[in-house]
Amino acid sequence: MAFALDLLQGKVKIDDCTPLLEPKYKKNYDTLKELIGSEEGKEKELTIDVDEDLCDGCGICVTICPVNARYCPPSLSGKAPDYPPEKHQLFQVKNGKCELLNLKYCRRIEGEGQARECRVCESYCPREAVKIDYV
Amino acid sequence: MVSKRVTCTGCSLLCDDIIIRTDGLYIDEVIGACLKGKEKFDCTTGQNRILSPMIRKNSELEKTSLENAIKKAIEIIANSSKPILYGFSTVNCQAQLMGIELAKCVNGFIDSNSIICHGKVMNAAKQTGMTLSTISEVINKTDLLIFWGANVAESIPRLLNKALFSRGKFRMTGREIKTIVIIDPAKTASFNVMGVRDIALQVEPGKDIELIRALKEECCSPNSIPSNGVAGADKEDLKRLLIQLTNVENGVIFIGQGIVGSSRSSEVIKELLELIQMINAQQQKGRMSLMMLGGHYNMVGFDHVALSTYGKNHSLQFSDNELVETSDTIVSKINNGDFDCSIIVGSDPVSHLPWTLSKKLVSKPLILIDNKKSATFNCAHVVIPSTITGIESGGLGYRLDHVPVELYKIVNPPEHIISDEEILLKLINGLK
Repeated sequence: MAFALDLLQGKVKIDDCTPLLEPKYKKNYDTLKELIGSEEGKEKELTIDVDEDLCDGCGICVTICPVNARYCPPSLSGKAPDYPPEKHQLFQVKNGKCELLNLKYCRRIEGEGQARECRVCESYCPREAVKIDYV
Repeated sequence: MVSKRVTCTGCSLLCDDIIIRTDGLYIDEVIGACLKGKEKFDCTTGQNRILSPMIRKNSELEKTSLENAIKKAIEIIANSSKPILYGFSTVNCQAQLMGIELAKCVNGFIDSNSIICHGKVMNAAKQTGMTLSTISEVINKTDLLIFWGANVAESIPRLLNKALFSRGKFRMTGREIKTIVIIDPAKTASFNVMGVRDIALQVEPGKDIELIRALKEECCSPNSIPSNGVAGADKEDLKRLLIQLTNVENGVIFIGQGIVGSSRSSEVIKELLELIQMINAQQQKGRMSLMMLGGHYNMVGFDHVALSTYGKNHSLQFSDNELVETSDTIVSKINNGDFDCSIIVGSDPVSHLPWTLSKKLVSKPLILIDNKKSATFNCAHVVIPSTITGIESGGLGYRLDHVPVELYKIVNPPEHIISDEEILLKLINGLK
């Protein structure tokens, strides 16, 4: 999974995965080549987009985000974090809409192992307003 | 610019963790509140705000002074023998108490919005009893949440955040150990937060009662659920639901308009309360409780004020300044034309009630005490603007879990605008 993430971010190439070069995985190799295409090897940046038209400021992303939970104790009880925001805080709800404060502490960038696969903000948003992407 | 921690009056959840940034005159930023709450804070400067008292002359509403509007209202009430008072769910408890005093003073009939909402549950509970729970208990202890006939993600946006995703004081994890069950005929936005372990029951409309009866029967004699399921719900899902219900440490059933607003609501509510009792009798570890999801922020308040003063939670009829027994409700009063003037406080019955009732209501003099324009505003004979409780005036409000929460004044109201409580007091003094 870590390899897949790195591949999406352009940090590694398909050929870096040696088992894939074996003849028995040729079909998978070709499919990947077709999917990644010319984007292979181009370094991509993580983006988290919050659709303002869809967001209703329920604050689920603020509470569910593991980074917020670690650095903002009120969010453990579902409460709004303190103001001004803590420097690690990723999300806050301001004027009825979710606002992304600081992406650099996101687990997808800072985390290790399985933590890098974190996408809880996207998967639990009831309005489907949060989108994680690499551009 | 100062930051203040305030309580939001956008819905019945009364979130007390909202931070506002204000210069003392206007609210500049609202942090932590959902879109519903933000709209409430925006009401202070909104276009829909009523800023001047008005009296209807030649079928047009004309601006007037507060004294004139109060005088006209007193004149209408004094000339009536059967006034009705309605609303009181978006005002503080002090104003609710004053409303009951006014009803007593004029020998009128007073009712709140809860009569067409969760007041039905309170009535049914008089016979069967009811197990309640608080939001703190839900945050810290609950491991099963059932949303029955409620699209909670859109009606009370921050409830899922607090109830389902919070970790609480006694546990290391939050969402992972909590199971949710959503029972609804429509696939709403609330379904989007469901995981693999959760149960979604898309029941057929109006068949909740069959589902409750099937669960009750299964409680008494296992394996009684028909193989093709009940009310559109699968047999295996129902069995899983019953296992969850009887083995949970702390579970809550949140009921919404799908239950209290259904055509057979009183029967459904009675059966549901009995089911909770049966489950609790079989519980090995903990208990199941009930929480009613009201819309207006202080609907529960009226029930408590009326219960504590006259022992009845709604539909109070006064005669000779004494409470008298009545089986009437606001709906039957309007339907039978058994009134000659109405005093509406912080509500919009012309929009909420069916057209036939609205038509009858506006056919007689209507006095409106409210802070925002509505369909009722357009039909009122006298309009007296009031402050927005929780923003421009303080008071006491009751949260949806029946916990009293103090509301504070944040900014000054517009000039010559007084609180609902003061308006009602002026009416009482004028009538005396």
